[in-house]
Amino acid sequence: MDSTIQVLTTVIIVFALAITVLATQVARRRRDSIPLRVVPAYEAIPILVGAAIEADRPVMVSFGSAGLGGSSTLLALASAELFYQVARRAAIGVTSPVLTVSDPSALPLGYGTLRRAYESRGRIERLRENSVRWYPSGPRSLAFAAALMTMMGDDRIAGGILFGSYGVELALVLDASARRRLPSIAASDQLEGQAVAWVLAEQSLIGEEMFVAGAYLGDSATQFGSTIALDTLRWALILALITASVLVLQQPVIEAINQFLGGG
Amino acid sequence: MARLLSLLTSVLAIGIGIVTLIGLLSGVGIFAGTTNLFLQLTMITVAVTILIGILNLFGVHTRRILKRQRGWVYSIVLLASALVVIILRLLGADDANMALLEGVQVSIESAFAGLLLFALVYGAYRLMRQRVTWTGTLFTLVLIIILLGALPFAEAGAVVQVRAWLLAVPVSAGARGILLGIALATVVTGIRVLIGQERSYRE
Repeated sequence: MDSTIQVLTTVIIVFALAITVLATQVARRRRDSIPLRVVPAYEAIPILVGAAIEADRPVMVSFGSAGLGGSSTLLALASAELFYQVARRAAIGVTSPVLTVSDPSALPLGYGTLRRAYESRGRIERLRENSVRWYPSGPRSLAFAAALMTMMGDDRIAGGILFGSYGVELALVLDASARRRLPSIAASDQLEGQAVAWVLAEQSLIGEEMFVAGAYLGDSATQFGSTIALDTLRWALILALITASVLVLQQPVIEAINQFLGGG
Repeated sequence: MARLLSLLTSVLAIGIGIVTLIGLLSGVGIFAGTTNLFLQLTMITVAVTILIGILNLFGVHTRRILKRQRGWVYSIVLLASALVVIILRLLGADDANMALLEGVQVSIESAFAGLLLFALVYGAYRLMRQRVTWTGTLFTLVLIIILLGALPFAEAGAVVQVRAWLLAVPVSAGARGILLGIALATVVTGIRVLIGQERSYRE
């Protein structure tokens, strides 16, 4: 790794660490006084789960190709947090939610998350063994999309939360969902998937919104602190970008003004 | 006992995470060697999960067949296909395996890829039909300009220029903004894992 990149990476990590620790402390003490901005997709999730419980039908959560051990590891952890919140709500019903993954490394994560969610409600005996499913995907994940499309009908899914890593194949799943008039919430870390989600899903999450499910759906102060840290870092980045742009544009703008005023 | 075990696993996970981070950042010395070892162990563990996946696949679909659940016939096809591929692999019939892959899976996936266009166009139509917002209108307008600009007509010079500007400036800026947001969130999530704030450590 280049020494400049090493230094920059270290600075970013140390800065983010300091902000995260500080924000967590603030969140623990003054949580109620700091509001979170409204994210419609997170407001829709409890409604979707509630409707599924009433209809005695499962909610489908899917991680797409997010898995452990690669570049999507942290996305898989963020997806697991969302799944935990969904499963914890769904645990009071009869039918457990169904998790589908295309990366087998996400299977143990999914099983563990589902088990913890049901244990937290004291309803571990309600857990269905086939609630976590692996659908192997081909090179373009289209086989996975096809599996989800058929699953919607076969398992009488009440609604889908597609939260993970998807490309344009997400369009097929969301189209099938719309044809069956099923509510859908989608988010992807890939740009193509995000564009498709924005157009075709009833609700979508964009960019960093995917990583704050615990703060919006749970009651953990540490999750809330992470969200504050993320917002702080985002504003710091925006300020840095604006400052850099001003510094770059400063000289040409001054020269142009001088020329306009007849000085040059 | 359970709490002690949980504490030990948390300390182990956090310790390995910090050593790996230092090793990746420094790139030399004892940390780099240890990091390589940890990464290799991770790859082996991830490879083992394929076995878990196969067991899961057979378990889920066998149960579906035995309980005659909706779509159980498709489960028979799936299990039979999986068994055929595994047996062919064990027999060393790689040519037959490749023929199956090329003739069945690639063909079906290509057909699906063809359907994508219709799903996307219908989705854009539905977006405008269901909720006419200024963002939806802007999306449709930009979509039309991008499509028109891609047509090979000499008369559409201005549209081609607008398309090029759209792709180079607003689309590129938006994409970078989204990716920067994801990168920041990834860093914060990584730090949460490293300092033991992740839910799996606590429960």
